[in-house]
Amino acid sequence: MALSFKLLDGVFLSSRCHRQNALHPLLGPLLTDCISKLYSSYRRPGTAPDNTPPWKMNFSFEKGVDGIKKHFGLLKKELVDHWKGPEGYRLDEYLLAQTRVVWEFRSQKDLDEWVVSSDAEIGGKSEAYLKLGKNNQTALLYGTLNTEAPRDGETGYSGYCAMRSKPPKGAFETKKYYDWSNFNSLYLRIRGDGRPWMINIYTNPYFSHQKDDLYNYFMFTRGGPYWQEIKIPFSKFFLSSRGRIQDDQHPLWLDKISTVGFTLGDKADGPFQLEIDFIGLLNDRAHTEEFAYEKYERNPKV
Amino acid sequence: MNSVRNLLRARELSAGRGVLRQAVPGRDSPWLQERSCAQCFWLVPVRSIRSSAALSRSELVPSAKGDKEKDRGFRDGSLVPFDELFERAHEGDRNKAAFNRAVEFFCQRDIRRRGHVEFINAALRKMPEFGVERDLDVYNKILDVFPKEVFVARNFIQRMFNHYPRQQECGIHVLEQMENYGIMPNKQTKFLLLQIFGDRSHPIRKYQRLMYWFPKFKHINPYPVPAALPRDPVDLARISLQRIAADLSAEVTVYQMPLTDISDAGKEITQPHIVGIQSPDQQELLARHNPARPVFVEGPFPLWLKKTCVYYYVLRGDPLPPEEKEEVIDSERNFYYPMHLDLDLDRDLWDDEEFYVDEVAEGPIFAMCMAGAGDQATLAKWILGLQQTNPILSQTPVVFHLTPGPRELQAASDSESGEEEIPQSWHMKQEL
Repeated sequence: MALSFKLLDGVFLSSRCHRQNALHPLLGPLLTDCISKLYSSYRRPGTAPDNTPPWKMNFSFEKGVDGIKKHFGLLKKELVDHWKGPEGYRLDEYLLAQTRVVWEFRSQKDLDEWVVSSDAEIGGKSEAYLKLGKNNQTALLYGTLNTEAPRDGETGYSGYCAMRSKPPKGAFETKKYYDWSNFNSLYLRIRGDGRPWMINIYTNPYFSHQKDDLYNYFMFTRGGPYWQEIKIPFSKFFLSSRGRIQDDQHPLWLDKISTVGFTLGDKADGPFQLEIDFIGLLNDRAHTEEFAYEKYERNPKV
Repeated sequence: MNSVRNLLRARELSAGRGVLRQAVPGRDSPWLQERSCAQCFWLVPVRSIRSSAALSRSELVPSAKGDKEKDRGFRDGSLVPFDELFERAHEGDRNKAAFNRAVEFFCQRDIRRRGHVEFINAALRKMPEFGVERDLDVYNKILDVFPKEVFVARNFIQRMFNHYPRQQECGIHVLEQMENYGIMPNKQTKFLLLQIFGDRSHPIRKYQRLMYWFPKFKHINPYPVPAALPRDPVDLARISLQRIAADLSAEVTVYQMPLTDISDAGKEITQPHIVGIQSPDQQELLARHNPARPVFVEGPFPLWLKKTCVYYYVLRGDPLPPEEKEEVIDSERNFYYPMHLDLDLDRDLWDDEEFYVDEVAEGPIFAMCMAGAGDQATLAKWILGLQQTNPILSQTPVVFHLTPGPRELQAASDSESGEEEIPQSWHMKQEL
């Protein structure tokens, strides 16, 4: 009961913030902290709620100047890109492209587009780090997995490490989405250590109750010194919410993709590593499947 | 008001309790029950003290059997209900038979199966201890503890309002533990669930979901690991090396079998196993390697086969300088037809499926091995064995980059990372 109240409260507040955001688009950067606080509904058991009032936020002059520079730069880039063609590509390039490299890891700036997390957030003992690999050519995600559950009396399982891209943002913190509808497969060049990973794709949560929805599929690594090229069709991704596979499955909306992530949680305690060369998209014309799972109503009424 | 009156009456009665008990020998009167409740309330701290004393005593005196047999109730000094039922069940070792004995004992104790939810939760927690967490029969046996046909919803209203929620949740817990261990339920599970909870109940839904998704993901791993890994380290090494070689024509060679022997001097000699793999492509690469440049033995690198971690070593070279990278084919090598054709065979504008990224510069890999010991002497034997098939290796200096512990593949050339390096170049010819 208390939980539902909290949820209602959160929904109400976030909708209010949205309205504010819509009313004052230029105030967006100032309000993001407040909004993100409301959006992150998970709080570790035993921790006090973060009740920092908005007037205690960091209002330094330098931060303001940096923000103005960044956002007007982004605005300029958006305008120029719009002039050039769809998404900043030339029209013929955009139409004929069969492949696209979305993320490659060649510098620290590329790593900054990713967020690494582990179950340390919920009180677990896993560790995960991300760094540049040899000759600054790859990203190396490494750490240790520990499945010992936190002893807070609520958490049952533990043991995951994850890496997730930051959602794309336009000028003045407007939400943007990747449009990958020209492609039908995800293409990765990786080198792992034999552990299975899960790829999570987060799409636009149109309604707030969809904000925990994720599209997942598995990525198996072979291990060994050789690179491995993995192609995963988007039709294989299945819908899950809060870690549970859903009964009614829907194909991924390829024009509303927000983030891509990797999760390790194979319940094997010990060190792990995953090296990623690049993450790209491929239009595999031999693949015609729309969706790999049944869309009709299952579990029929007996 | 009523309760106050009851309390007063109870106090009155407590004085003459013995008389009343004599008067009502079989059943306690409701007032007496109340009284006994109050007694319970007062006794709780006392009992906890007593039980802790019993615990400390059993720690001091290992043969505290009298304490154990004293009470067959389920709160015997342990915070976990039904803990002692499982403790008592394993007289010898913890196995499936002992676990089944505990479950049967619970079923026979009480025809109404009182406290079955607590018992099932305790049993689920105890399963890994008894080593039966991957046994479908045991899960079915646990589900069999539920009384049958009591929790079946009889009409749509009961079904709507989550009939017997604790029992349904408990049933879901059993299925969830099966899911976590990757156990697929069978017909008997379904039969039991239908008998206990009826169709369209939550456990049945969970069962249907398991049966829908499990077969879909059962065989998606393109690099499957056998369910039971071989005990023999040589066989394990063979499997792992074939997995990481990614080449079906690669050949596994056992350079040394594991051996424990006692020499004449009475010293024990242990010989670690050395298993190596080399594919024809790798052999060709090594044959073309410039003997003036050293090759490196690096490792150990981890490889996970489900929950087992094994370590392997690689023999590799430095990244090739650009002038050595391409094999220049002389245009006059063959007068009759060109040796190298560069035809653009793309048929259409859409046929370009290349990714435009910088290639990761890495040295070639010549061979891989797994050994029982990671010291230099063992790996030198591997290099010696490789020289039989790769004569060029006897002219090439070999440098050992070995770390005491496992490490990342990347840090191979980071010399500043403070890892122990044992550079040693040595020409095997001189030794031979």
